[in-house]
Amino acid sequence: MSETYEVLSPWAEADPIPLKGLSPRLDKLDGKKIGLLCNSKRAAPLILDATEKLLKRRFPNIETSRFFARSFSVSSLEKDREGEFNDWLKGVDAVIAAVGD
Amino acid sequence: MYDAIYIEGKAKPAATYVFEHFANDAMSAASSKGMPVIRIVPETIVSESTATATIEAAVAAAFDNVIAVLTGPLTAEEKSPKSREPEHPARLVFKGTLAEVNRFFYQRGWTDGLPIIPPTEEAVAEMLTGAGLPADRLVEKLEPRQGKATVERIAVNAVMAGCLPTHLPMLMAGVHALAANPVCGMMAASTGSFAPFWLINGPAAKDANFRATYGATSPGDIANAAFGRAMGLITKNIRGIRKQVEDMGVLGNPGKYSWVAAENEENSPWEPFHVSRGFKKEESTVSLMFPQSFQQMMPFSTDDKGILATIVGSVVPARQGAFAVLLTPNNAGSLADGGWSKRSVKEFIIKNTVVPEGYYKRLGLDDSKPFDRGNVVIANTAEKNAIFNTNSRFPDPVQVFVLGGFGSWMGFLQGGPEPITKKVELPQDWAQLVKKYKNVVPTYARY
Repeated sequence: MSETYEVLSPWAEADPIPLKGLSPRLDKLDGKKIGLLCNSKRAAPLILDATEKLLKRRFPNIETSRFFARSFSVSSLEKDREGEFNDWLKGVDAVIAAVGD
Repeated sequence: MYDAIYIEGKAKPAATYVFEHFANDAMSAASSKGMPVIRIVPETIVSESTATATIEAAVAAAFDNVIAVLTGPLTAEEKSPKSREPEHPARLVFKGTLAEVNRFFYQRGWTDGLPIIPPTEEAVAEMLTGAGLPADRLVEKLEPRQGKATVERIAVNAVMAGCLPTHLPMLMAGVHALAANPVCGMMAASTGSFAPFWLINGPAAKDANFRATYGATSPGDIANAAFGRAMGLITKNIRGIRKQVEDMGVLGNPGKYSWVAAENEENSPWEPFHVSRGFKKEESTVSLMFPQSFQQMMPFSTDDKGILATIVGSVVPARQGAFAVLLTPNNAGSLADGGWSKRSVKEFIIKNTVVPEGYYKRLGLDDSKPFDRGNVVIANTAEKNAIFNTNSRFPDPVQVFVLGGFGSWMGFLQGGPEPITKKVELPQDWAQLVKKYKNVVPTYARY
């Protein structure tokens, strides 16, 4: 008869974290200023170039503004740019982000 | 996804393009930051693609979804996600034979594919003798899952990996190293398949039989094999980074099984690595790098000139991230005999490792742009043709480690962030523990 083993779980406990809902959506895109957030991955600017063309074609009164991260994530890896990033966010109505993955 | 969550938190709607194979990864990231209902725009653009026409077509196909993500009415769940129950997994999870335990763990995604040692109460209690701390003491919460790395949970994973109690203090230092730099989470999950390279320094490395000499990073020693394996299991089971769920490494990396060495301090002409980072020689440390690749080269000649020329001549312009040279004691001795310090070796490499004249033109490229995306070392350089330069992200981009047996081969670790070094805190009864486990070493029969 084989020996039996009663074993402990390797899977860690994790406390629940406060959950956040999504922010209110826009009623329309035309006439709005859309932020285009580009991280440092090389597909990101190409994705946003294509997006910007389509936005402007479909919505004649749309404005765009780009923010270029120097890393994969401006909010978590570029704490020194938090003020600059927040200022940019204040100036746009919504953001389309390309992260290259 | 972290940026999208940040943006939503600032009351701005966000739409993030996500490669369709990364949807699970994106949702795990969002969930770990408290926004499990994040909206994404799945698309078909292969990670790191530069194929403009394909990207344009994929964006066109996904464009209506971008509009819907930004303007579609929110559901009740999206407005106010239901809070989750705390994750308190049962402490004892299974009872069965060795084979049944292994099958159970494997099918839950808790192993690295190799058989594990069953983490029984008895085995974990023995492992905990290496901690000198209460079992429920929280060492760190590890991103992205924010899993609680308690002493006991680290010990469970250590048992599974085959560690001895004398490895537990190093594992706790390793957990501190993982938590010290948020980039580490990204490295373990990256498409680039970065693998942790662990360097153990100080007297405890020898006490616990971490190998520093011949075959330092090869299989065959419990300490080197089991330490890295345990850190890999901790990455899965505590951090919550699992293959093709959160770890999206494309090619993968055998270094993720275990890539560990002690520095060969006894035979190095220079101060140990941890001393050059401000620790005392009598202290012990665990250092962590996340290279993508490991290259070995025979030096052009074994004098200082040949060794340095081989290093400089082996670094390619397209490389990315931090760089470490692995020197045998003989290579290091040749350099020291030539009057070189560790510092002056590093300065020589930084100064002389340059992009050859006309390199990009020969490749049919206008400039270095294709290589610059992941290489902030190049991007921020003051000297246009320099491959290494110091900057705020890479203040010390070149490292020198002395390890391995007596020989001439040298190695290069390429990529990832600069090393993190954490002190190993030893339990009060360390000497007794060492006495108990020091002789657990292989004795090879002659033939």
